[in-house]
Amino acid sequence: MSADHDRLRDQLERRAPGEWELYEKNAESLELDATAGERGTLSRRERGWAARWWSQGSPRFACASSTDGLERALAEASRVETAREAPPEWPTSQSPPRSIPGNVAPPRDVFDELQRLLSAESHGEARLQRLTARRGASAERIVNGRGLDVSFSTTVSDGVALAVGQKGPRVCEGRSVFRWDGEPDLAALARRLADRATLPLSDRPAPIERGELLLEPSVAAALLSRLAPLFCAETLPRWVHRTDLFSAAVTIVDDASADALYDGEGTPTRRIVVVESGRFAARLHDLRSARASGSPPTGHGVRPSYRAAPSAGARRLFFETARPASPRELLASVRRGLFASALTAPARVDFERDRFELEFTGIALLGGRAEGPVAGALARGRLSQLLRRIAALSTDRQFFPMPYPVGAPTVLIERAEFE
Amino acid sequence: MELDTATVTRWLEPLARRPEEIAEVFAEARREAVADWRDGEVIEARAAITEGLSARWRRGAEQRLAFVSRCDEEGVRDVVRAVQKGIGLSPLPVRPIATRESAAAERRLDTDRWVKRLSALFSRHAPRHRFRWTLRDVERLVIPARGGEVAASRRLLSLEGTFTAASRRGDERRNFSFHAPLAESTADELRAELTRAVEPREKPGSCGEGEIDVVLAGGCAAVLFHEILSHPLEAGAESALSGLEQARLAAAELEVRDDPSRLDLFGGYERDDEGVAPKAVKLLDAGRLSGRMTDRSHGPGPSNGHARRGGPEDFPLPRGANVLVAPGHATIEEMIRRLSSGLWIDEIDGGSVELASGRFRLRFPRARRVRRGRLADECGAGLLAGEILPVLRSIDPALGREARPYRALGWCARGGQVVPVQGSSPDLLVRRIAVRSL
Repeated sequence: MSADHDRLRDQLERRAPGEWELYEKNAESLELDATAGERGTLSRRERGWAARWWSQGSPRFACASSTDGLERALAEASRVETAREAPPEWPTSQSPPRSIPGNVAPPRDVFDELQRLLSAESHGEARLQRLTARRGASAERIVNGRGLDVSFSTTVSDGVALAVGQKGPRVCEGRSVFRWDGEPDLAALARRLADRATLPLSDRPAPIERGELLLEPSVAAALLSRLAPLFCAETLPRWVHRTDLFSAAVTIVDDASADALYDGEGTPTRRIVVVESGRFAARLHDLRSARASGSPPTGHGVRPSYRAAPSAGARRLFFETARPASPRELLASVRRGLFASALTAPARVDFERDRFELEFTGIALLGGRAEGPVAGALARGRLSQLLRRIAALSTDRQFFPMPYPVGAPTVLIERAEFE
Repeated sequence: MELDTATVTRWLEPLARRPEEIAEVFAEARREAVADWRDGEVIEARAAITEGLSARWRRGAEQRLAFVSRCDEEGVRDVVRAVQKGIGLSPLPVRPIATRESAAAERRLDTDRWVKRLSALFSRHAPRHRFRWTLRDVERLVIPARGGEVAASRRLLSLEGTFTAASRRGDERRNFSFHAPLAESTADELRAELTRAVEPREKPGSCGEGEIDVVLAGGCAAVLFHEILSHPLEAGAESALSGLEQARLAAAELEVRDDPSRLDLFGGYERDDEGVAPKAVKLLDAGRLSGRMTDRSHGPGPSNGHARRGGPEDFPLPRGANVLVAPGHATIEEMIRRLSSGLWIDEIDGGSVELASGRFRLRFPRARRVRRGRLADECGAGLLAGEILPVLRSIDPALGREARPYRALGWCARGGQVVPVQGSSPDLLVRRIAVRSL
């Protein structure tokens, strides 16, 4: 394998002296796909190579599932004339080689257990339709023409569950993604699924037109993941005021050091405070965007797979706050509002038009107490206002795969408008 | 892909001793060329050459799949061993196999010729743009435990992105999406679609809220039927249409089928991903719910060739391919007259359906208002929403006289698996559907 690696390095050095990068990934995963009557088991072993090079200042990318294939892909990508762009400032770190950490254990079959919990949470109104759970591990190695040679390994345990709620002739589907760093938190998953699959069956519209909006952690995480492109944008929309993009209660951090030591380009992972007490503090950069903007790279060159060229993106994004409140305190502080338990459609944000839309199901709140379910509500308006109206964040932060980990606690938003 | 079919079949035989057992090896070789354009220049060129294969075993409600990202006999041996171990059979012995060089010459992708042709097209029609062009060459091979190997290949072209177009009140950014199998006419068709997309338009207003009559024109009704018929009629899906076989759901004039053998459409194929020759399936026959799309594991009845996989790493699932709505006799003028007052929509850029409840939604980037039987002002983006059974009942029996392929529909995701799809439809009038502006 080393001979193949050396041959590829030589070829890249000939094509683009000093201005190249070679990436190798080795991954294994085991997946269980369960329904009430069926079980499917998948095992996957994948190896892939990718190369990026600036030949006479023109960027190109090639990838393949074998070293021979990569050589052919290099030739194919070289056929096209591309515009010139200054090559990036390549990183030069070195680390000891790493391989996939041990044997990947199969995910536990928790279908029946989750079904029992879901049935209890929903008082028999919801049943689990499908559960897909995956465990995987990977080892990645990146070398470049300036001496970088780093390796790192990662593990993942995640999945998706689908439930169906039924009340008389009314039916509703609920889907929930999950990511577990330790033991499966089935109780929390069952609660989210029960809310998503049964609250819309109440048929009760939003009883108020404006008030406070309390976002459940999974809803807040979905909103944060939709905002992530803003933190990597080359040019910010006109409505963005750097000094008060969010309310002062909000700090947003990206720190993937718990997941991997380096990003997909070999830049060391570090903590970046993107929003500090409401102020837009730092943009997330990969090597190319850093070079284009004259800033140092932040370690956010993201490769979702060896088949994709790295690009700037969030890696482990989460809310922080200097003054966290307990979920109970947040709930008690709501005079008149809605608790968004689950989204009923993907959150929509339009950076160009400064608009957002959250369609959700949840619970009406009055004087800090639950006042009954709300089948469906729509909160929409100016995104700039929404971000500045985040009044408080709770202590109950959880991470969700979006598909990278996004962490959010319960979030309180003031003066929201509902339809 | 050079695999010794006789050897692989021999390895698979112990996995499919009983008639109800399915065992097969599925292999794929994929080449992709990608060019990213910005304002007349290619800013990045990409190429990908990937291979993979998997062995699958299924008996009743249990199935197993093992995948490796290589495509040779050693890979086959690995995946067959993994499946054998998983179901408690003694695995094939580990034995090195001589690597065989591929004898087949690789077909050229002609990337450079396409780049020249597209550069000229963009500079003429849409000089300010960000486009991604992709050409995929996919070869697939299925070796079943029983029966001979089946090979098929497809070449698919996609162009997606945004461009700046003139509108009467200043420039505006528009999305563009085009997906077609590679053929002699593809370049001309792409040119015609792009020319149409850059036409000057008025600045849009709001499309309003409430229930409204809508004509889905330009073939975009294919997206509606993809969501409300194709997905619910994929065998094994529990949906709002379950148990309604042969029920009259729509006007007798409405005929809808799914036909993978239409190779001129993006979703077409000669063999499905279990090696079965596909058959056209009537979904609505004279307004009555008719067939379902099946594979070898999900009935009713034998497979009609709708097993599809996102890639060799996935289980096959019964999926739709090309949804086709039969044309009627109405002219465009007649459709506008019948609409009288409502929205004329000829672009839908996204859709989804919740199978259990039958609720669906379709997103359109813009529409044209029709007042008193005449095309009037333009409206911006909006959502159409409804439920399957009421919307089928509210489709007007007068259908446009020409069914047109809808090239903006190209990919469909279900359970994490993305497969090419497409469809064609005549203009179609839907009464009292819920609309909301975005």
